[in-house]
Amino acid sequence: MQLPFHPILSDTSIFLQAERISVRYGETEALKEVFLQIPTNRVTVLIGPSGCGKSTTLRCINALVKLSSGVISYGDESIQNMSETQLRRTMGYAIQSVGLMPHLSVEENVDLVPRLLGWERSGRGERVGRLLNLVRLEPGIYRNKYPHELSGGEAQRVGVARALGADPPVLLMDEPFGAVDPLTREQLQDEFIRIQRQLKKTVIFVTHDIDEAIRLADYLVIMKEGEVVQADTPEKILSSPQDDFVERFLGPDRSLKRLSLFTADHCCIQEVLSGLEGPSKSVLPEDSTRCYWQVDEGNRPLKGFMWINGRLVSRVVHSVNHTVQTYSSMRECMATILSLGLPAAAVVDDEGHLFGEVRFETIQTISVS
Amino acid sequence: MNRNILQRRALDKQVAFALFLFLVSFTLPFLQSRENRISEEFTVSAFSLGIGPILLLLLAPLVILTSAFIPNRKRAALLSTVAAAFGIFSPLLVLSIVGNALVADLGAFARYSPASGMYVYLAAVSILYLMKQKAQSRDKVALFLVMLLAIGMGFIGMFDRLGILLEARNLGTRLWREILAHVRITGVSLLISMVIGIPIAFLAFINKAVRRVVFPILNVLQTIPGIALFGLLIAPLAALSMAFPVLREWGIQGIGNAPAIIALSMYALYPIIRYTYTSLSGIDEQVVLAAKGMGMNSTQIWKIVRLPLATVGILHGIRVALVQTLGNATLAKLIGGDGLGVLVFEGLGQASVDMVLLGMLLIIALTVISDRLFQFLINVFTPASLIREER
Repeated sequence: MQLPFHPILSDTSIFLQAERISVRYGETEALKEVFLQIPTNRVTVLIGPSGCGKSTTLRCINALVKLSSGVISYGDESIQNMSETQLRRTMGYAIQSVGLMPHLSVEENVDLVPRLLGWERSGRGERVGRLLNLVRLEPGIYRNKYPHELSGGEAQRVGVARALGADPPVLLMDEPFGAVDPLTREQLQDEFIRIQRQLKKTVIFVTHDIDEAIRLADYLVIMKEGEVVQADTPEKILSSPQDDFVERFLGPDRSLKRLSLFTADHCCIQEVLSGLEGPSKSVLPEDSTRCYWQVDEGNRPLKGFMWINGRLVSRVVHSVNHTVQTYSSMRECMATILSLGLPAAAVVDDEGHLFGEVRFETIQTISVS
Repeated sequence: MNRNILQRRALDKQVAFALFLFLVSFTLPFLQSRENRISEEFTVSAFSLGIGPILLLLLAPLVILTSAFIPNRKRAALLSTVAAAFGIFSPLLVLSIVGNALVADLGAFARYSPASGMYVYLAAVSILYLMKQKAQSRDKVALFLVMLLAIGMGFIGMFDRLGILLEARNLGTRLWREILAHVRITGVSLLISMVIGIPIAFLAFINKAVRRVVFPILNVLQTIPGIALFGLLIAPLAALSMAFPVLREWGIQGIGNAPAIIALSMYALYPIIRYTYTSLSGIDEQVVLAAKGMGMNSTQIWKIVRLPLATVGILHGIRVALVQTLGNATLAKLIGGDGLGVLVFEGLGQASVDMVLLGMLLIIALTVISDRLFQFLINVFTPASLIREER
């Protein structure tokens, strides 16, 4: 039974379905007949003000909270018929406070679920190394550290690595980046997008941060007082919010938020003008509206040139703040363009090589579309 | 630099205090002698000791005074080590030489013991040791050598007439027996309270109803004065042993070690249950939630999460109970039990200060040694990850 206002992504199958699930604690109803479909291999973000039931929904999925009524089906089976511990071991779980075992080393923490599943000991150490590399923690340095020796951001990374420990098909993340400073948080989001592109897991992500939600979500579920208000792609929700509540929740800068939905690699121009020397008249004639990037031997951008009002304007690319990554959002591109002072920004890949450029016109086109 | 100066100033204050105590010690009687164990004492002050002993005693304060004026920190530290070592050695030497001279013509039962002046003197020396933020190996070696020297002096008979050693010799094998009895009473009481207390604490953690019953009882139990509890146990135990004579064969009766052990285990329950419960309930709920969310069943949560995290806290509870029970076991004598309390209370009864002192010193020594041993055990059992957190 698919309700009309709960469209599901058309390009993928349904991984998990919750039908009319309710949770009652005595008199209070935490969840009221929620209907929810989770798309396979996509990031579903549950968002809403505190007390809206988003965390409860997540905990229903791994049976940490008992359903008062309703059914959650996982594949062909209802989760009520499955062993709770077996079910949880097939679902990676990362929580806000990380909850690393303080008496176990980073390696033992990451290795916990494989240990619970009774995997062969051989190869598990190597697997921990690969997972730590995945979350950008040098295994040689971090493997034998203890949780109290880690910074907040490092602990969150270990938490994510642990959730991925036994290669579960689905990841449940309950505000996993909630307890870190904004800068670290943004880095962790970048890392998350990178990892998700690589692994393509089914992710169910709970947050109260609308920017984070729009950035990460393939499928956005907005909840209020134990009910789903709107569930759709972030694009659809941003362009046509269901009601006043959703509109208020999205905030006044809806159009700016929409920029977060597009990443640099999809919107950049890959044929760029670049060279080891400054631009010659033949490469960049006075009437050209294009941008020229001077690079070093490693193809890393050093300077940007452009003709503006009959003057050749040049800007030095000082730092990482003057370039964007392939997976950066168009919103970050906008910020970079403003800080560089040219109507374009250089896109670099993971190694810092010039990948392409994002132009201001592109951003304009996106915002009016 | 600035910090060094401040540190130095703090040190100078402590030096000044130590010197003041040294000064006070010279105004008080330094040692005393008696014709026999209960006769009146003759006190001798440091100034009447003669020029040799006085110079010997002045050595430590003078050296420490010099060290305070030396700008070179390393040399000053070396001098303070020397001063501290002499601070222990000189009073012992003076005690033995002057004491033996004093009792020489007082007859066969005469004895000497330290008096208030010497205690104040030793207090001043202990400040010299406490002054050092971290005991250096040099200080430990010096202290060890002084101890060896003192034991050597004892072996060649220089302390034969020292009051507490005379008492110890008079007691003979009984002394050893009481020490063992003290250890045994403490050990048995501790074992009983562990066997009862730890499971109760676990139950209280799991079950709210148990918690509501256990802690009020425990709090009341803790407020009953020790001697009263001993007394309270006499009647029921006497009645029990009358009703079941077989109990008497096991030593369970109204007076003796049995009521003492029961009372002591009741007291030890408090720290054991409190510490065990607190170390279980103090575990971060988020850690347990994460463990559950990862798919641990309840046995695994206990085995992998709760028990390893609570062990150190539980051991600390046992340590506190041990120290407390060692002290309280002194009272066992009041109800006809054995242990070092026998020395203390018999000494009091006979007005023999030396005997009381001997008992007290032995109890203190037992307590310090067992505390250290237990701390060592705890360190062995603490997982590597948690040791750094504790410091």
